[in-house]
Amino acid sequence: MSKVNQDELFRVVEYSADAAERIGYSNYSYWRSVWHNFLKKKSAVFMAIVFIVLVVFTFIALAIGKYQYTELVSNRETTFLGPCAEYWFGTDNLGRDYWCQVWYAAQVSIKLALVVAVGEAIVGVAIGCLWGYVRWLDRPLTELYNVINNIPTVIYMTLVALIVGQGFGIMATAMIAIGWLVMARNVRNLVLMYRDREYNLASRCLGTPVWRVLVKNIFPYLISVIILRLALSIPGTIALESTLSYLGLGLGAATPSLGLLLRNARNFFLDYPYLLIEPAVIVSLITVTFYLVGNAVSDAADPRNHV
Amino acid sequence: MKRKATRILAMLLTALLVLSACGGNNNQPADNNNANTPGNTDNTNTTPTEPPAPSNGGEPIKDLVTWESSGTRELEEFFILHTERAADLNVLCNAYSPLLEIDNYGKLQPAVATKWGSEDGKTWTFELRDDVTWVDMEGNEKAKCTAQDWVTAMEWILNFEKNGANNTSMLVTMVEGAMDYYNYTKELAETNPGAAMALTTENNPEFDKVGVKAPDDYTLNYTCINNTPYFDTLCTSAALYPISQAEIDEKGVDGMVGMNNTQMWYNGPYTITEYIMNNEKILTRNPSYWDKDAYLFDTVTIVMIDEATKDDELFDTGEVDNTELSESTLNTIRSNPDDPDNDYLVETRFRKFSYQYQLNFAKNNPDGTPDTNWNTAVTSEAFRKALYYGVNLETTWARLNQVNPLNLENLCFTMQGLLYFEDGTDYTERVIEKLENIGPAGTGSPRRFNEELALQYKEQAMEELTAKGVTFPVQMDYYIKAGGGSALDGATVLKENFERTLGKDFINLNICEFVSSLQQEVVNPRLQSFTGNGWGADYGDVENFLDQIVYGDDNAYYANNYTNINDLTDPDTIALFEEFTRLEREAKNIFDDPDARYEKFAEAEAFLLNHALTIPSNYENAWQMTKINDYSKMHALYGCQTYTYKNWETSTEPYTAEAYAQFVENYNAN
Amino acid sequence: MAKYTVKRLLQSLLTVFIIVSIVFVLMRMLPTDYYFTEEQQMKYDEETKHDMLQAAGLLDPIPTQLFRFYRGLLRLDFGESRRIQTGVSVWSIVAGKFTISMRLGLIAMAISLAVGVILGVLQARQKDRLMDHVGTVYTVFVNSVPPLVSYSLVLAFGARILKLPSLYSNRNPGPSSILPIACLALTSIAHYALWTRRYMVDESTKDYIKLARIKGMSSQSIMVRHVLKNAFVPLAQYIPASLLLTLGGSLLVERFFSVPGMGTLMTDAINRYDTNVVQGCVFLYASLGIIGVFLGDILMMILDPRIKLAGGGETR
Repeated sequence: MSKVNQDELFRVVEYSADAAERIGYSNYSYWRSVWHNFLKKKSAVFMAIVFIVLVVFTFIALAIGKYQYTELVSNRETTFLGPCAEYWFGTDNLGRDYWCQVWYAAQVSIKLALVVAVGEAIVGVAIGCLWGYVRWLDRPLTELYNVINNIPTVIYMTLVALIVGQGFGIMATAMIAIGWLVMARNVRNLVLMYRDREYNLASRCLGTPVWRVLVKNIFPYLISVIILRLALSIPGTIALESTLSYLGLGLGAATPSLGLLLRNARNFFLDYPYLLIEPAVIVSLITVTFYLVGNAVSDAADPRNHV
Repeated sequence: MKRKATRILAMLLTALLVLSACGGNNNQPADNNNANTPGNTDNTNTTPTEPPAPSNGGEPIKDLVTWESSGTRELEEFFILHTERAADLNVLCNAYSPLLEIDNYGKLQPAVATKWGSEDGKTWTFELRDDVTWVDMEGNEKAKCTAQDWVTAMEWILNFEKNGANNTSMLVTMVEGAMDYYNYTKELAETNPGAAMALTTENNPEFDKVGVKAPDDYTLNYTCINNTPYFDTLCTSAALYPISQAEIDEKGVDGMVGMNNTQMWYNGPYTITEYIMNNEKILTRNPSYWDKDAYLFDTVTIVMIDEATKDDELFDTGEVDNTELSESTLNTIRSNPDDPDNDYLVETRFRKFSYQYQLNFAKNNPDGTPDTNWNTAVTSEAFRKALYYGVNLETTWARLNQVNPLNLENLCFTMQGLLYFEDGTDYTERVIEKLENIGPAGTGSPRRFNEELALQYKEQAMEELTAKGVTFPVQMDYYIKAGGGSALDGATVLKENFERTLGKDFINLNICEFVSSLQQEVVNPRLQSFTGNGWGADYGDVENFLDQIVYGDDNAYYANNYTNINDLTDPDTIALFEEFTRLEREAKNIFDDPDARYEKFAEAEAFLLNHALTIPSNYENAWQMTKINDYSKMHALYGCQTYTYKNWETSTEPYTAEAYAQFVENYNAN
Repeated sequence: MAKYTVKRLLQSLLTVFIIVSIVFVLMRMLPTDYYFTEEQQMKYDEETKHDMLQAAGLLDPIPTQLFRFYRGLLRLDFGESRRIQTGVSVWSIVAGKFTISMRLGLIAMAISLAVGVILGVLQARQKDRLMDHVGTVYTVFVNSVPPLVSYSLVLAFGARILKLPSLYSNRNPGPSSILPIACLALTSIAHYALWTRRYMVDESTKDYIKLARIKGMSSQSIMVRHVLKNAFVPLAQYIPASLLLTLGGSLLVERFFSVPGMGTLMTDAINRYDTNVVQGCVFLYASLGIIGVFLGDILMMILDPRIKLAGGGETR
């Protein structure tokens, strides 16, 4: 038996982020794998391009249009003209250019959908992590979920409109205020599932701080779900907005959205189908492409599909 | 208590729909002494009278299907005394019989009362027919309808605890002792809840002082406070409809309000046999109806629709018998000359509403502080006149009637065709004669719009108001219901009409929205710069219009809700309103000579308009395709009977424009 | 099991209780002016309005009102409607609406269950082949295109081309129900197809299926006897909830086709500030939602003996 200094065999080391990474080091990079996996799906890449082109085009379309949205004037001579050289998307019932209305509204709708999606993601993930990780929060948050989830959306949105008012900010906030629930619930379920896995237990025993466990060990599992939720949230927001506009609880006259155009077109589309088809096609393009891209990214982001 | 009459008041111009110019000189005042005697038909005869065969080759319709817009136009209350909503009364007028009815020329005709009249204009006597009965929904006879039923109804309406304050407003100002009895029950209800509920017409010394008496079963007397030459026109309002004492005895006082179509008793031409909220109502002919000579439908179905184009679709598929064409449908038909529907386009008659833009003289900002910029601007007569002459509403009218927009131009406050001078001149014609700077009729351009004059006033206003510290452009807030659609389109066009001539350097019209209630979200907090309002008469006198806008009167509806003139501080504007009020009061106090009375009213009304204290906007009509001859319907500019499905001429084939032109001709010839 | 059931029920009651309380308080936060119709606003002076509010108990402090509301709630009495049908009890108004929504909802659900599950099975069997792609396109379409658009398409197609009535009517409930049912089924078919496919695909990669194949069972009977049966269990969990929610009706579909059901009742009640009816509706919706989830869990337990819900389990 050789005499070995106990201190040389075991000694307490300060936690060091660099050193922690070094264990099991490979050239694996999470985001690179996501990217590779995503690129493999040609259809999804195509859809992503369509989506981005569409978003960019809403700006170009307004710039190249022959009429400015803010300067539209009604004209009895030009009502209900179909698409033509002068009016690329035709004219509405007041004889105003429809092209700039559709694209202006598309911009508003996309903006609303993105704001709501991001808001939902931030609030939802934050609360979801807490919900899953902090045991005593489970009871009250579950109850809150049940309560909010079972109040009919229409009642909720009507009361908001009556008590607070209408507008872009209010609507976005109100939608986030109910939309985060689903996201938080999904996140919470995953956090619950993974937080007591052995490697996390080991990680914690080794003194890794909680935030690091959450961000490095659990978060990659969440990304897939978060993206899936976002992919569903954008069509969901646009659908809810159009339903609310239909009920008169929409954004208000000052901010025309695709929902409002669809609602107005309801009265005319049997005679003048282009009034419905044009905004509907754009809405559908936005929602379908985002839905498919979101699904593809979500698959790509699932670490189980990596390597 | 504020007095306000039936609310047949269509808020907001945005309401689409309208109808045609009916030829003018047809509504002579009813001749009371010349009432028809009742048709002595056999009481047991229940076979319906056959309507005349239509001229266009169709058969008369037996089961009519018509429509109404859902939402706020749905029936909510079945007890006719307890409601003043037009949506309720349009149905209930078919379930109850009034003392007097209106014919297709707007003249009063005998109904349950066969003879009526007054010696002095204060005491009115009605002789009733003896064959009117109350039935239940199935048509089983429940009780006789007697003069006592009108006395009972009067007690019910005036009793605060029984009826809230529904339908009281006109009675308390007209009928002797009514105000006292109303106040008595109100106090009683406060001090001793339930006591007023127990009151009846018997052993009720307080009620005995009210000017309504039934000396026998078929004679009815009313006593008015003043000489009221138009009292009989009130018989067409819900305030003078009957209710059966036997029914109250059976249901109990509590059971009356809240009863539904299966429980209520009927004495009108139809019973309501089915009621599905926001879907449909079916009215079935009442076999015991007293007027055996009237032609009625076997059933009338009223379908509720919630889209302006729905009725067009339903007419197309033959599911309804009339349609008011929406903008897009009419446009499609007219833009294609080969479309056979072109032959079937006809105009509806004018609705009974006269629309104005009511300026708000005490506007607030959304935070509750006064909007001094607007409030100062609006007290400038030059500013108001710039708006008055400078707004060209032709495109606004075209939204209602794209073919003949100029027919809709309204220059007055009172509805045209409501009253006539002895020589047959329409009252409003007389008002227009007194107006300044109104162009001649029939030139193909609006009569009031005058660009040159407007710009002159604009310059003057800008000069005067800049000195007073008003900033230009003056912001005008105009509120519409949220949800876009035609309300938004109408507001957009209106904005352009205001700004086109006057320029964006002068005014800026902001289109604002309310979620569900104009009254609660906008009018009470006084956020609007102006509103578009339509007033329909409750009874046949000018005062019913002008009373709404007088100064210093709690009962003046417009003045207290929309214009807020009682909170004015500018002495010049107050002086204008006081002068108008003085003129109006003078006219009101002329009882003996109708012509002099109307002349004085015309003077007051012209004064109001010449100072641009309100801005008249339009009448209302629409284009339709129909299987109903509108000129055979009751044509009431006051009261609640317009929708009585009685004596309607119909055809299973749609009427052509030609056939309709013939109807108009025949109508005007009579 | 019994203990668990009781506990879950009590928890559900608590949730419903909280929901109705919140909505009650929110409704009371609206200005009292909202209790009057436009006509009443015009006609009554401040004193009269004050008296009427007092008589209706609306000026009492909120706790007193809440207490009165709870007393009614215990007897499941929501009072009388003020505006929808003056003086008629909330229950009888709701009951009338309810049957219409339920009839349409049940038919739509039966159709979509049958069609949806069959579609899902076909997709799973022909994974990555034509049928699967058709089904996927359909589910993507339904999931992403706003209902306002897809219903408009159904309406345009049904009314213009098939000449079906576009307005629900009691006079011909059959034909006039076709389009609303089609719209209702449109979305839920996609839902059932999506989940059936997913569960079946998941299930068919499991070991016991492989074993069955090795044993030489025909793929037909594997699909029906093993895969579908097991895949149906998680699907079954949602059936009671959807079943109960059909009672609530679909707002948009009912508005679109003028179906006089629960969905339209609720918006009408809110628009007219008929607080009692709103409260009744909210209570009904919340209870149906929560009971639906609860029954779903129980049903799953019955169908799948492996599943045991622990006494302290989640409320959902």
